[in-house]
Amino acid sequence: MSQPHTGLFTIQTMYSQINVLVKNNLRAILRDRVLHAVLGVALVMILLVPSLSSFSMRQVQELSITLSLSATSLILLVVTLLLGSSSVWRDIERRYTASILTLPLSRGAFLFSKFVSIALFLILCTIVLGLGSALVISLASDSYPSDLPIHWGNICLALVGDVLKYLILASLAILFSTVSTSFYLPFFGTVAIYFCGSASQEVFEYVSGQFGQELSPAIVKSITAVYYCLPNLSAFDFQIQAVYGLTVPVAGLLLSALYALVYIGILLGLAIYAFGRRELP
Amino acid sequence: MKWRLGFAALVVVYALLLSPFTGYLEKRPVEVKLGYLPHPQVLKVASGEHRTTVAEMAVLRVLFYFGSVLQKFEENVILRPEFMNMYKMLQSSLYLDPYNMDAYYFAQASFTWDLGRIKEVNHLLKIGMEKRDWDYWIPFYLGFNYAYFLKDYVQAAGYMQRAAELSGNPLFTNLAARYFYESEQTAFGLAFLETMIEGAKDPAVKSHYAMRRDALLAMSILEEAQNMYLDQFGGGVETLQQLVTSGILEDLPVDPYGGSFYLDDHGKVRTTSKLAASDQ
Repeated sequence: MSQPHTGLFTIQTMYSQINVLVKNNLRAILRDRVLHAVLGVALVMILLVPSLSSFSMRQVQELSITLSLSATSLILLVVTLLLGSSSVWRDIERRYTASILTLPLSRGAFLFSKFVSIALFLILCTIVLGLGSALVISLASDSYPSDLPIHWGNICLALVGDVLKYLILASLAILFSTVSTSFYLPFFGTVAIYFCGSASQEVFEYVSGQFGQELSPAIVKSITAVYYCLPNLSAFDFQIQAVYGLTVPVAGLLLSALYALVYIGILLGLAIYAFGRRELP
Repeated sequence: MKWRLGFAALVVVYALLLSPFTGYLEKRPVEVKLGYLPHPQVLKVASGEHRTTVAEMAVLRVLFYFGSVLQKFEENVILRPEFMNMYKMLQSSLYLDPYNMDAYYFAQASFTWDLGRIKEVNHLLKIGMEKRDWDYWIPFYLGFNYAYFLKDYVQAAGYMQRAAELSGNPLFTNLAARYFYESEQTAFGLAFLETMIEGAKDPAVKSHYAMRRDALLAMSILEEAQNMYLDQFGGGVETLQQLVTSGILEDLPVDPYGGSFYLDDHGKVRTTSKLAASDQ
């Protein structure tokens, strides 16, 4: 008896296809020796935090939080770049797509499963690095107690901010990967946008102020247009709130999360569109 | 087999090379230089989310540099510290992270006594007090600077009171009340330095404060001896040597900064070292 072709059935089929693909992708990621090395380096970096923090004169605990969050963010950036930049074009080059897409599977589902597996691995890395950070922060704090209590909630929030930021970058790397035939565009394109996106708020504020009055209106408008198009990664930076226990505005937090989701949606939409039109060998 | 022999030969050569190589590195003249940071605005844009880490690295760079200058001083090698560069580096780090306590602490430790930049340090501290509104150390530093260096006792009392409120420690109120007289200036300085030495963690900063404390202590001994001479002989001394010849002191205390103590035209104890490395 044939199955009825209802909308619910299609969604269920797609869900199970994505589920299988995500599991396969995650297995491949977890077997990747380069990532093992990166995570090994990350854990060594985090273990060095208590001794490095002891150099501080008056804020050992604060420095341990700063260094842990910086190390975590740096490692997540490397993981995102490695996974995102080598995702789609490599599958095409290895003719993996040629075999997998002969199955009754849409290109969109294939691409989405790539993103979900990278996202899950990033979350897993964040949890592991976050636990390592919690350990070293506690150790540093016990050695030289601070006047400030450790704000674990803010630290978790900073880690969530990192995850959202690197999910945007991962979707950007996937987009570049769908139109690229080599490692270079996805890698360097994503790195360039990471730096621009981290600095865009500062540059925008600078141009909007006194300095902007000395520039021609056309330049100011182009900078403003670029500012609105680039992902604003500074919105996900909660490091200073985590280090000094400052209050995080809830409305700003929700807006940032919504911004990330919408931006990721747009990038993945573009990636699916580009991948759909690409001629595969 | 050939590969193994080749590898073993390399290890032997490496072992033989280690001693002359490390010897060469040890003898190499070390230029103690602080170096420069890019403009703070450029640094803030470039460092992005890592700006708190970059800020702390800049402060630690200043601290290590200052530590190496102090170490050279102990080895009788006099280097003029790059105070202005140090100050600019701390300013940059505070532009990146205005909550960084290490920067405020170091500015207070180094630029008030040695550079005499009281107003600039107070300006930084006031920013710090606004940002770190829970921290009692910053109003304590401000209170001290206003009383000791600027002789503005009204402002000083206000900051000490704020420090007392934030810490719940009446020590600050007592300090404010007890030492706000110029005649007690040395005692006030000593009390401040003792508090700072007690709280200092870094050996370089601790030794810097200890040297200052020893110098003030020596001056305090001379001032007490002057008072004793006045009580015994009914008149003041014209030279400090009279304190020794009259038997009040066995020897004149030594200035840890390498200078000699003398009396100025008003009979106040001074030293040729001026208790500080000179500004560049």
